[in-house]
Amino acid sequence: MTPYGKPLPVTDERNRPFWEGARRGELCLQRCVGCHAFRLPASRYCPGCGGDGSEWARVTGRGTLESFCHFHKAYFPGFEGEVPYNVAVVRLAEGARLFTNIVGVANDRLRIGMRVEACFDPVTPEVTLVKFKPAGAPAARSVE
Amino acid sequence: MPDKRLSRRTAVVGVGTTAYGKLPEHDAYDLGVWALREALDDAGLGVADVDGLIVNRIPDYQRFGEIIGLNPRYASITPGQGRFSGHCIETAVAVIDAGLATTVALVYGNNGRSAGDRYGGATDAYGSGGAGFWFPWGMTSPGAFHALMAQRHMHLYGTTSDDLGEVAVTFRRHAALNPSAVMRAPFTLEAYHASRYVVEPLHLLDYCLINDGGVALIVTSAERARDRRKPPVYIAGFGQALQLADSTFPPDDFWRAPMALVARDVYGMAGLGPADMDALMIYDNFTPTVLFALEGFGYCPVGEGGRWARGRLGLGGEFPTNTSGGHLSESYMQGWALNAEAVRQLRGECGARQVAGARHVHYMACAPMVTSIVYGSERG
Repeated sequence: MTPYGKPLPVTDERNRPFWEGARRGELCLQRCVGCHAFRLPASRYCPGCGGDGSEWARVTGRGTLESFCHFHKAYFPGFEGEVPYNVAVVRLAEGARLFTNIVGVANDRLRIGMRVEACFDPVTPEVTLVKFKPAGAPAARSVE
Repeated sequence: MPDKRLSRRTAVVGVGTTAYGKLPEHDAYDLGVWALREALDDAGLGVADVDGLIVNRIPDYQRFGEIIGLNPRYASITPGQGRFSGHCIETAVAVIDAGLATTVALVYGNNGRSAGDRYGGATDAYGSGGAGFWFPWGMTSPGAFHALMAQRHMHLYGTTSDDLGEVAVTFRRHAALNPSAVMRAPFTLEAYHASRYVVEPLHLLDYCLINDGGVALIVTSAERARDRRKPPVYIAGFGQALQLADSTFPPDDFWRAPMALVARDVYGMAGLGPADMDALMIYDNFTPTVLFALEGFGYCPVGEGGRWARGRLGLGGEFPTNTSGGHLSESYMQGWALNAEAVRQLRGECGARQVAGARHVHYMACAPMVTSIVYGSERG
């Protein structure tokens, strides 16, 4: 089997729950216990209210495609065979945003405003990436 | 907001620029010294006349001061991001007004091309410092960030690739008239479309040119400026505003909120508006930011930048813009060379690309830090 050549996440104490959630097939975000706002990237203090307390909570995984682009240049090893690949900004129903990839739809069918939902791509035994697919489409998982 | 009485209280009295391109025998310090010597000579001053030092992109202010043998009364250094060029110039005005220094040398030196600087991939730190979190999805580079913004602008307002290409074609036409420009061969809109995509919808020709080079400016009070070698170019208005909240992601409003604040300040201080400007210098890291700035600073209605800009930004047009060729075709000197070009236009030093009778030139940069400066050739 070809070793996985793409960049792997650099996990730390602060963002580990995100990656652990993904491995379980759950999209989890940090939530302020004071004002209940979700946030990503993780931070000690809430950008909205300044609160110090936070917890990690599962979100619906439903969102909207806010924008997308297609990388024709492979800046990282492992992507050479996949250009052009898409990178998208998804705004979740809970308000937070993330950069991700949209799967299960051809690049030329991506449309800003389309509804998407989280799906989970186990790229290595340890790491699962949260990606998105058009809402209601069958799950698209990478082949082991 | 900045105090309106600061209008035309300070002036640029010297500008210096190095050659641009691949200059492997010079490091960032050397490029800074080269530019500073040119600027001091331009002003008819010596190093001993400088009592304030602001450096950008040069790694260390202490070493730079040591190299030029300077013991200033004020010094500062900022991150090496291009958005800081306007910030540094505005700081010089405040420093002079506060009496911290009388004559400030602003020095920029960048050996990025020879040093092999990369704006995407493993060393990418664009954004709010957390770029690495997104590498597993293949997200990286300021170019991609702006591609995402461009795509959304196209979706919301009908902006087209032709609109972006027109900006690139126009600035290259200007560069053809600038002996210092790195890329001078004009190209057509067809050639623009044929150029490869880097991060679609942006083509290679939508990207600025990473090069080696240096720029220096000497800023002093209007009183002191009268006695210098060349006519003063007054800082008539300036402003700054930042949008840092949620800035990991592309801004929903294309930075219009901070631009609106800065526009109010810069026009209010200068006592001028868009219609008074003879030339524009717009921070063009990528073509879309030119359109965002034109909209944010009130040159055209929101969303209409692409259509509006067509035919208006060229020499001989309504608002000649980036007459040097800008970052897209002269060299990516991170805003500094655009400010130098503004000064030279107002002095009438621009030769074949001179805007006849230019009296007011407007610099603007849109990014998470928005800055803008209006330069004027007349004191009042």
